[in-house]
Amino acid sequence: MKRLDTPPDAPGAVAFDIRTAYARERNRNVLFMLAMVAVSVVMFLVTLGIGTYHISVSDAIWVFFDHLLGREVDPEDDYYVWGEKIGRVPRALGAVVAGVGLAVGGVIMQNILRNPLAEPYTMGISSGAMFGATLSIGLGISLVPFVNGSYATIANAFILSLVPLTIILLISFFKRVTPTMMILTGIAIMYLFGAITQIVMVTSSSETMQNIYSWEIGSLVRFNWERLPAVTAIVVVLSILLYLCASRLDVMYAGERAAQSLGLKVNVFRLSVLVLTSFLTAAIVCVVGAIGFIGLVAPHIARIFVGSSNRYLMPAAAAFGVAFLLTADTVAKIFTLPVGVFSSLLGGPLFMYILISQRKRAWM
Amino acid sequence: MGSDGELADAGGQRLIDAYRMQMLRKAALLIACIAGIVLVVGLLSVHSYSSISLRESYEVIWNHIAGNEYPRRSDMWWADTYIWNRAMPHALAAIAAGAGLACCGSLMQSLMGNPLADPYSTGISSGAALGAIAAIVMGVSVTTLAGGGTVVNAFLGAMVPAIIIIAISERISMTPATLILIGTALSMFFGSLIAIIMVSTNPESLQEAYLWQVGNMNNIDDFGWDCIPVMLGVTAAGSVVAMLLAGKLNVMSLGDKSAQSLGIDVKRFRTLALTLMALMTAAIVAFVGILGFVGLVCPHIVRLLTGSDNKFVIPISMAVGAFILLITDYVSVVVGSLPIGVVISCIGAPIFFLLIVFSRNSGKGALY
Repeated sequence: MKRLDTPPDAPGAVAFDIRTAYARERNRNVLFMLAMVAVSVVMFLVTLGIGTYHISVSDAIWVFFDHLLGREVDPEDDYYVWGEKIGRVPRALGAVVAGVGLAVGGVIMQNILRNPLAEPYTMGISSGAMFGATLSIGLGISLVPFVNGSYATIANAFILSLVPLTIILLISFFKRVTPTMMILTGIAIMYLFGAITQIVMVTSSSETMQNIYSWEIGSLVRFNWERLPAVTAIVVVLSILLYLCASRLDVMYAGERAAQSLGLKVNVFRLSVLVLTSFLTAAIVCVVGAIGFIGLVAPHIARIFVGSSNRYLMPAAAAFGVAFLLTADTVAKIFTLPVGVFSSLLGGPLFMYILISQRKRAWM
Repeated sequence: MGSDGELADAGGQRLIDAYRMQMLRKAALLIACIAGIVLVVGLLSVHSYSSISLRESYEVIWNHIAGNEYPRRSDMWWADTYIWNRAMPHALAAIAAGAGLACCGSLMQSLMGNPLADPYSTGISSGAALGAIAAIVMGVSVTTLAGGGTVVNAFLGAMVPAIIIIAISERISMTPATLILIGTALSMFFGSLIAIIMVSTNPESLQEAYLWQVGNMNNIDDFGWDCIPVMLGVTAAGSVVAMLLAGKLNVMSLGDKSAQSLGIDVKRFRTLALTLMALMTAAIVAFVGILGFVGLVCPHIVRLLTGSDNKFVIPISMAVGAFILLITDYVSVVVGSLPIGVVISCIGAPIFFLLIVFSRNSGKGALY
């Protein structure tokens, strides 16, 4: 329409400004996503070259592509980079998967609980997983028969991390569950699990305690080719499902009454989204441990750049999560420390800086 | 006069009755807690020297305070020694810690307007833990006082995040929620430093560090009365100041803007309150580690029973906190193998759970 393209008549001028503003914002969203993806790709390639085995970054990249393309590769290099069981490629892919899953989980949690402090672990998932790991490592108890060792830890962690969800679902049969109630129940269960875990840890030997503690910190080294496919499948499927709910999440964020009057079955929707997110988080945490920061902060940081609309926020947060986790893992490998340490070390000050500089615009 | 006046009188009388009931409830709770404290002190004393009865233990304590001495090496003299050197420091430390943490907890919850706030929301706990763990694991400490290194380190460590938060809130105006978020970020940061130390050290040091963090009375066992003056003094002084602030705190809970329009300098008040809480909490945590739940749960229990007026919530939750922590200490001493921090978690977690269950229907605003 010609009117929109010509500057100032009174109504035409307004339309003109809105159009450019919208275009500018959309470009900013796209730029942010591209930037995050670029960082992710770069860090993915760089991390292939970092580790205890000496190989230069460029050589590692060649090995990566040669293997992919089916060409001849030096078997030793290939072993360390691509890995028979453990290797840098599955670890890096694990970082991608975990970054996506935790970030998406964080976006959803903050949305349905309508609380800026919410994160995937708010429902007590991490404490359940920790308790499961403590049962397995500390007491040798496995909830799934015939499984032991690290598989028992994973199975225990997965099952127990879903206990809070189960309790909330049970409560929801008797009465309406509000977001606040969900948070409080999750916290109460976290405290309960924490107390029992404490008892076990305090009464166990120092070696056992060290094992449990290292599990809890969160390390991507546990991602190998055996565990990667299952976790990837779960994360991909659930993330896509959750992304399909994006517009409905926006509607819910407007408030319960508004959402209901717009036709959304709020309670059912909230609980079903919670179930999906819990499985998503549990799948990651049971393998990796509780890597902090990403679920809480990736949504906030992404929100600063792309706004609160979930259609953009979810992919943006996921992209940031991946970029951040890959970077943190690379640093972790250089210092041979678990990645959970660095996600908090880098993340804490970063988060503070963002909070202080953006306080008026970020959340409220 | 006339029918209007009579109705007004009836309504007025009901109001007076309701008010009296309220005040009675508060008094009853306070008296119950004090009675409970006295009882558990007696129980602790009996436990520390088992061949005397409960009533005799009170006699011993009273005599000691009154300055009477028993004949040397008599049975009662031994009781006196054990009770005064073992049980009483424990009891007083538990009372001081419980009262102090509960006071800070109610302050924090009112200040931040957040029912989930506790004294550690500003990241103090991780700062203290970092200081203590640096002393325990790496032997790095500020003073060379034997054993005192951990305590001083923990205190200084606790003040670091406190100073950061206070400085930030002084310079930049921000909502309480943002302050808590910053506290969370600080916790995360210090937590990662702690994690670096803990994963790189040997299992024995790790265990010692973990036990410190969980919260225990080892310092009291080792050093007895040396710890008590600081703990009691800081708690007493801090609670007096808190009581003076109680009125303004009530106004703050209306929200920043309302408080400002009612004449309170919100920023300065918040800075003052945060400093007070930081000092009190740091002094306690330095000696006994990070004891959870007391600061979180006691104010809620009190509010559930007596409403949210801070002039009553602060002192009564101090009594409740002292009582609960004293019971916890007693259980910990009797069981023997569990540090006090683990016991308070086991007690506090179900209490918190029950609070959520019970407060759902009542509109008294315990948790939300």
